[in-house]
Amino acid sequence: MASGVGVNPDCLNAFQELKLGKKTRYIIFTLSPDNTEVVVEKKSESHDYEQFMADLPENECRWAIYDFEFEKPDGGRRNKITFYSWSPDDAKIKHKMLFASSKDALRRSLVGIAAEIQGTDYSEVSHESVFEKVSKGN
Amino acid sequence: MVNYGGDEVSALVIDIGTSSIRAGYAGDDNPKAIIPTSYGYLPDAPTTTEDVTMGEAGQNGPSLWRDGMRVENPMTNGLIQDFEPIPPLLNHALSEVMRCSASEHPVLVTEAPWNTAANRERMAEIMFEEFQVPAFYIANTGVLNAFAAGKGTALVIDVGQSTASVTPVVDGFVLRKGLQYSALPQLVHAHAKHLLTSPTNKRPGIQLLPHQLIATKTPVDAGALPRFQVREDRVAGTTDSWKLWYEAREVDEWIQSVAGVLDQGWNDQAALARGARHYEFPTGYNYYFNGMERYSVGEQFFTHSPQLVASNPNLPKTIPALVSASMNACDPDMRQVLFGNIVLIGGGSLFSGFADRLHNEIERQTPHAKFHAPGNPTERRYGGWLGGSILASLGTFHQLWISKEEWQEHGKAIVGQRCK
Repeated sequence: MASGVGVNPDCLNAFQELKLGKKTRYIIFTLSPDNTEVVVEKKSESHDYEQFMADLPENECRWAIYDFEFEKPDGGRRNKITFYSWSPDDAKIKHKMLFASSKDALRRSLVGIAAEIQGTDYSEVSHESVFEKVSKGN
Repeated sequence: MVNYGGDEVSALVIDIGTSSIRAGYAGDDNPKAIIPTSYGYLPDAPTTTEDVTMGEAGQNGPSLWRDGMRVENPMTNGLIQDFEPIPPLLNHALSEVMRCSASEHPVLVTEAPWNTAANRERMAEIMFEEFQVPAFYIANTGVLNAFAAGKGTALVIDVGQSTASVTPVVDGFVLRKGLQYSALPQLVHAHAKHLLTSPTNKRPGIQLLPHQLIATKTPVDAGALPRFQVREDRVAGTTDSWKLWYEAREVDEWIQSVAGVLDQGWNDQAALARGARHYEFPTGYNYYFNGMERYSVGEQFFTHSPQLVASNPNLPKTIPALVSASMNACDPDMRQVLFGNIVLIGGGSLFSGFADRLHNEIERQTPHAKFHAPGNPTERRYGGWLGGSILASLGTFHQLWISKEEWQEHGKAIVGQRCK
């Protein structure tokens, strides 16, 4: 079951840029004002994770791609492209429904995602809990 | 075909449950028509379908006493078992209560996660052939509830009037192998009825006589024998099915006003400490029910007493048992994310103390569990309808509707293809 919402080509371009250009650190996606397609809200090169968390609004839903970089205990560096579904409990029910039912369209058009995070509050998207998830088994 | 552009779809959303049928316009945050699913009929009438007594929205269906009237419910375990009364029931909700014509609106119907293919095709047939709808879609309540909570992946715990279910939803699809349901609410109900009607050392068994059969009564003190006179003229014309239906309603009302669940697990002292609560029955009999009686009812959702287990090997699974059975059937990788996204839904979950207790039970097993239980009772009771209402109101959703032309061209097979 899906909402039938489309994905703006800009989303793909931004994602390719992040994947291949290695410059963009994260992308925030949202729905266009008329709720017909997914658009890019923000691209950022900031390495500050706090900044990224601040870009997830407290009571509105978003999706995000974060190029998660971490170091293994043996010193190897890893990059994991992580997909976030951000849906805080305080968001309007219509938005939660819209974002949840449209996620699949966006998620399927982005190839090469290593991990997925479903977050309803800031503790679920914090650096530690994401790190715990993406570093597993690698 | 109706031309729907933008968000002006004006679709209808219908959610059929065991206790009530909810119908309304997509985009609204409340169903316009809520009618009881139980209906009354007179067996001597020429065709049963034409003489169906149903309540107005918000009223209580067959509560009007009629000579020889029987009461039926088309649902069994959350599924439609008897399709014959469905068209008149829906017709009542749409034409009589909402005053609209289904032939002018696309219709979205919800279904239980364990619905059968034959059942949903029958529903599509009724909608297209009898109601002449221009477009149709059938959506799964498990997925709708997960989406309405903003989650593509969730463990949906739905406690209804007849059935409690646990549905793992992953990326918008139901994991069929993890789907678990049982007739637990019926056991809770039976327990409450048994508790009321059997005598204890402090009080006699309580007569669940409907007020429609009582001519006069005089107020009595709490615990004293009731003094009332039965309407003799109505006794002969009262059918067993109507009486059973009424008794079930009386028990439900008692449960809703008096019973509860202890949030920390069963403990005699804790139950007694909750104090007594007063309730008066239609006969005029009134009594202060103590904590043991009040809380033993809700306890049935979580634990079965050893005596009960010994006497009946086929008990419906308790909620914690349903959750662990469902989890054991799922991939270990999925368990953590499902436990992190539990959605509690259904009118039965509004039982006083239920959400807290379930939270405690699950947290004992899995410390990482995260709970989402809508605080708003409308969202809890009509979550499935509400999800359908939002989905059907989206302009972009219109490409997914099954149109009448497609139905005529492809027949039943299209329902399974389109509505996954």
